Amino acid sequence: MQKAMRAIGVCCVLALTISNLAVTAMAAPTERYIHIKVNDSSKGESVNVNLPLSMAAAILPTVNKGTLHNGHVTIGAADFNGVDVRAILQAIRTAPDNEFVTVKEKDQDVRVAKSNGDLIVHVLDKSKDGEKVDVTIPMKVVDALFSTAKENELDLAAAVRALSDAGDAVLVTVQDATEHVRIWIDSHSSAE
Amino acid sequence: MVLLGKVALGIAGTALAGLGLICSEGMIEVNVVEKQPEVHHVYVLAPAMLVPIATHLVPSRKLGRASAEIRPWMPTIRAALEQLRAGEDLTLVELREPGQHVLVAKSGGSVVVDVTDKDDIVHVSAPIRAIESTVEQVAAASSETQD
Repeated sequence: MQKAMRAIGVCCVLALTISNLAVTAMAAPTERYIHIKVNDSSKGESVNVNLPLSMAAAILPTVNKGTLHNGHVTIGAADFNGVDVRAILQAIRTAPDNEFVTVKEKDQDVRVAKSNGDLIVHVLDKSKDGEKVDVTIPMKVVDALFSTAKENELDLAAAVRALSDAGDAVLVTVQDATEHVRIWIDSHSSAE
Repeated sequence: MVLLGKVALGIAGTALAGLGLICSEGMIEVNVVEKQPEVHHVYVLAPAMLVPIATHLVPSRKLGRASAEIRPWMPTIRAALEQLRAGEDLTLVELREPGQHVLVAKSGGSVVVDVTDKDDIVHVSAPIRAIESTVEQVAAASSETQD
């Protein structure tokens, strides 16, 4: 009888511990961070910025200044140059992985593609600095950006929330002869 | 003799409780070392609770301009400080250039700013709760300016 009581007691303690662990794991999702790193080797300068995405998501809707309001940014019609960006995005979303734009000029190469659910933009400037720009944005983030009902607005807050759900990713790299810029998302609080 | 002992114990207990209350919001630390032309060292360690109290004692009309400027940004400041307080320790901004190093970090419930250049070393650490209280005090001040 005593053994049975002891066994029941141990089971209860184990069940409580497991349920506590499960609740803790569910209540504390892993924080994600956006990192910005700029290195200028010619001047010996470097800048590191680390920001929790939850903080960015909380702050953005509170800023009402200039073109930014309630987490949305208003873009003038002229910035779209009459191009129906939503229609293009819809076409890209439904299209299979592919290269959509490839431009090869004497001074510049441009490539726009969709690969593994990411929108990829690659620009290579062949002038003396040889600037190279790579942008990789998950399609979910692009969708969130254009999820607002208004034609001339981008939903930055929704894009940040979508970034929180995306996996680790390098979003932007810019490299020229002396400068290197990198923007990426991961779950580490430091850039190292 | 026993009565004196009880009185002394009461005074010491009250003093200790008061000290604990004053230090409950943490400490503000300011450390400035001027390297040139002469070496000067300023070190201040003060209870963070004194800052909002001191701000409360400043006539509100003296804070009018700062209050008017900070008020539109209060929702943003509140959101940022709340998230900062809830989050783990991290380096927010780090800037390095020849002869200069700037670091802004969250460390143990405080915001820490470290600046090192060829002339000075500055270290400021302030508890987030004290920053919140102080900013709220400034924002709540009358917006009638007094310049």
